[in-house]
Amino acid sequence: MNFKKILVYSSEAIIENKLRSALTMLGMIIGVLAVILLVSVGTGAKRYITSEFESLGTNVIMIQPGKTDKKVAMGPPVSSSKGKLTLSDVEALQRNTPNLSAVSGVMFGAGTIKNENATNNINILGSNDQFNKIFNMTISDGNFFTKEDEDSGRRVVVLGHSIKENLFGNTTALGKLVKINESEHRVIGILKQTGDKMGFNMDDMVFIPTRSALRLFNTDKLFGVRASARTRSGMNDAVNDLTNILKERHNGEEDFTIITQVTMLESMNTILNMLTYALAAIAFISMLVGGIGIMNIMLVSVTERTREIGIRRAVGAKRSDILKQFMVEAVVISVSSGLLGIIMSLAITNALYFFLPGFDMRPPFWIIPPAFMLSFLTGVVFGVWPARKASHIQTIDALRYE
Amino acid sequence: MALIELKNIHKYFKMGEENIHALDDVSITIKEGDFTSIVGTSGSGKSTLMNIIGLLDLPGTGQYFLDGINTTEMNDDELSKYRNQKIGFVFQSFNLLPKSSALKNVEMPLQYASSYNSTLNDNLIRTMALETLEKVGLSTRVHHLPNELSGGQRQRVAIARALVNNPKILLADEPTGALDSKTSEEILNLFEELNSQGVTVIIITHDTKIAKRCKRILRMSDGHINEEKSL
Repeated sequence: MNFKKILVYSSEAIIENKLRSALTMLGMIIGVLAVILLVSVGTGAKRYITSEFESLGTNVIMIQPGKTDKKVAMGPPVSSSKGKLTLSDVEALQRNTPNLSAVSGVMFGAGTIKNENATNNINILGSNDQFNKIFNMTISDGNFFTKEDEDSGRRVVVLGHSIKENLFGNTTALGKLVKINESEHRVIGILKQTGDKMGFNMDDMVFIPTRSALRLFNTDKLFGVRASARTRSGMNDAVNDLTNILKERHNGEEDFTIITQVTMLESMNTILNMLTYALAAIAFISMLVGGIGIMNIMLVSVTERTREIGIRRAVGAKRSDILKQFMVEAVVISVSSGLLGIIMSLAITNALYFFLPGFDMRPPFWIIPPAFMLSFLTGVVFGVWPARKASHIQTIDALRYE
Repeated sequence: MALIELKNIHKYFKMGEENIHALDDVSITIKEGDFTSIVGTSGSGKSTLMNIIGLLDLPGTGQYFLDGINTTEMNDDELSKYRNQKIGFVFQSFNLLPKSSALKNVEMPLQYASSYNSTLNDNLIRTMALETLEKVGLSTRVHHLPNELSGGQRQRVAIARALVNNPKILLADEPTGALDSKTSEEILNLFEELNSQGVTVIIITHDTKIAKRCKRILRMSDGHINEEKSL
């Protein structure tokens, strides 16, 4: 019998046993669905985190005082008594590095902000006039600091969106005075709402010039320096320049740590890839269970149809005809389950994306051919044994089988 | 010309500790166009003989020439081909595929035959199956499932399936065993009619009444075979 006929006959046999076929297929559908959905969750999470990261600016370079030998940039920022970054370091960097588009010292501390309406506990971030370029900050109202504000350490403040809402509500805040740690500052700008980005929410912060912040916290030691490379490809040159300049200024000692977003992204990607592989491995197990389900049902089917096998052999079916018949049946079940699983996974993720656009778990296209191949192979692998068994049944015994 | 020639066939079975000598030096010759019955009580070896004649089982020793060719040297695929091309089986319990229509059941041998004969396309297979069903008087019930047919009609479907590939031999094992006497009569009439058209018919039965309708009777007992009635 040719392959097309076997395919037709196998499909007919599957349709004749609707309930049993459907239950067998369910196991495989769940297996394929699990493979695609779990991989989608992995890649979706990766895509989400990467885009969040990139919205913070991918060319960002962070310089922290103190030196660690840690290659990977995850974990808490290094703070060490050894090494000290100052405003003159920042100025030197601004002057001497053509590969950097912006450099800012940062000062970071907790405090309170109040006006006649409310008092808020806040994070105060001291930065210069270039800071907004490094982190792609958008001002919705007023302006960010000018160079004059920074150089003369004026008491001016740019408010995060939530802080402005808390203190002023809908009334205008520009030009008003607020007290930050009991020192009066004039509001010159309001940030556009950003929301939470990697656990870092600018809406809850206030920004004041670095010099003002150093004065406020009574120190000359910066929390760190933030810079951005002019281009992504110029990142390595920028880092080299930075290192050389700072080393020279620090008596040849590298008492600082440079972290770039590239290295952070790389280590993040390593972790997220591991996550995707782990999820894929879990999904593979459900595929295995689906395959065993197919094998089970095919074995039952072979026993149940012993007599049919006998009849077919008596009228002239060869062993190979019987083998093919049961193999094809297993593969038809597994492949159609695979296709259904793929269609369902696309439907589920697209429906989710339609109703929750922020929740993009649509499967990457590259997963579909392997998922299909996997369902095909599962059918072949788990169909071989029952089919072999069927083809080796003795005809005379099979004809007498009740 | 001898269609079937069995020479000194022996067949042993092992049942537990006991060795059963099912066929003991059986030698028979059946000519083309014969209408033969093989009778015997159960355990006489007649089913074993039928399995060997039908190429469903191989003899222990001895030789079996079918249509002039020694079948005892054939491999499994060649035996399948010979069953398909030379032999049509009719069983006591019909042995139809329960979930396939009468037409599908009759088409089945031709589906397997199509791998030896490339002219057997689906249209030709359908035509041949319908013609054969008409020959056995079932042209109005071709799309019915076996459980929608009476016993006699089922056996007619089985006979059509046996005949559809124009075999040399029609091998019937207790073909009327599951039928009432009136239907049995009709089936036997059909066999006679087919025989008169040139088909070699062999009926295996324990019923001497049926055997008497045949031109030739071979009696099996304890693995031996004897001519009881001959032409």
